Amino acid sequence: MYICAINYRIMLPTNCPSCHEQLQVKCLKCEHCGTEVNGSYTLPLLAQLSEDDQQFILRFIKSSGSLKEMSAHMKLSYPTVRNLLNDVIKKIERYEK
Amino acid sequence: MKSKNLFGFLINPFTRIAGWQAFGIGLLCVVVMGVLGSFGGVAYDGVIDMHLMHLSLEKSLLFLGIDVAFLVLVMWITAMIVSKTYRFIDILGTMTLAKAPLIVLAIAGFFTTTPDMKAIYSDPYVIFSSVSFVVFMVLTMPIIVWNIALMYNALKVSCDVKGSKLTIAFIVALFVAEVLSKIVLYVIA
Repeated sequence: MYICAINYRIMLPTNCPSCHEQLQVKCLKCEHCGTEVNGSYTLPLLAQLSEDDQQFILRFIKSSGSLKEMSAHMKLSYPTVRNLLNDVIKKIERYEK
Repeated sequence: MKSKNLFGFLINPFTRIAGWQAFGIGLLCVVVMGVLGSFGGVAYDGVIDMHLMHLSLEKSLLFLGIDVAFLVLVMWITAMIVSKTYRFIDILGTMTLAKAPLIVLAIAGFFTTTPDMKAIYSDPYVIFSSVSFVVFMVLTMPIIVWNIALMYNALKVSCDVKGSKLTIAFIVALFVAEVLSKIVLYVIA
């Protein structure tokens, strides 16, 4: 007999699984009273990034913006971490447009 | 998966090692290479050049020093042109470490018997009389390819340049570095 334990982690999808376009927020719900607000809201800029990019930004903030500290933590070289940061900056600039 | 990771690391160790750490390891490799090359009869007379030739220890180290210096200098100038975000220490470290595979040829030099050059000029097939020489020649190809792949990835990681811009910049820089090092080595030697 096999027992499978699967840890599901519900993540906010940012892109359409069908056409890969950016998704919009349609509904917000109050967990306390159950009130629902419907509309079409654009995701905040940081939420539009992939989970890896969001984790990278969090780590960047937690290490007070020290790429040296991040490279030691991530076990990557300094220029590699700097290149990852450059990629995130490029994505943010693209979303800002 | 593990062997894939190892292959990736051998082709591009610079995602994990760069800067002073890479320079330290690279410098150690270059010095060992110079010493072994001197005794094993392998001379590194150019950025991507090597020949079976006996040099004194001083000359062997000087030749390698000139190779590394011109490689770093030209790649640094290239970085200034093509990139906004780079550090000199990353270029110095990664380019020095990129020389490391050539140590294999310095070791192979100890086991290689070079046929008489005059005999080769009169009959090129003489080279096949020395099995060790043929093995050395065959070994040279993948090692040089590995060396070039490392230099390419060194520039890629150090300067954050991608695509055709990287490829063109690398080819031009490598060609210029090779020509300059050859000229300087010719003048010195």
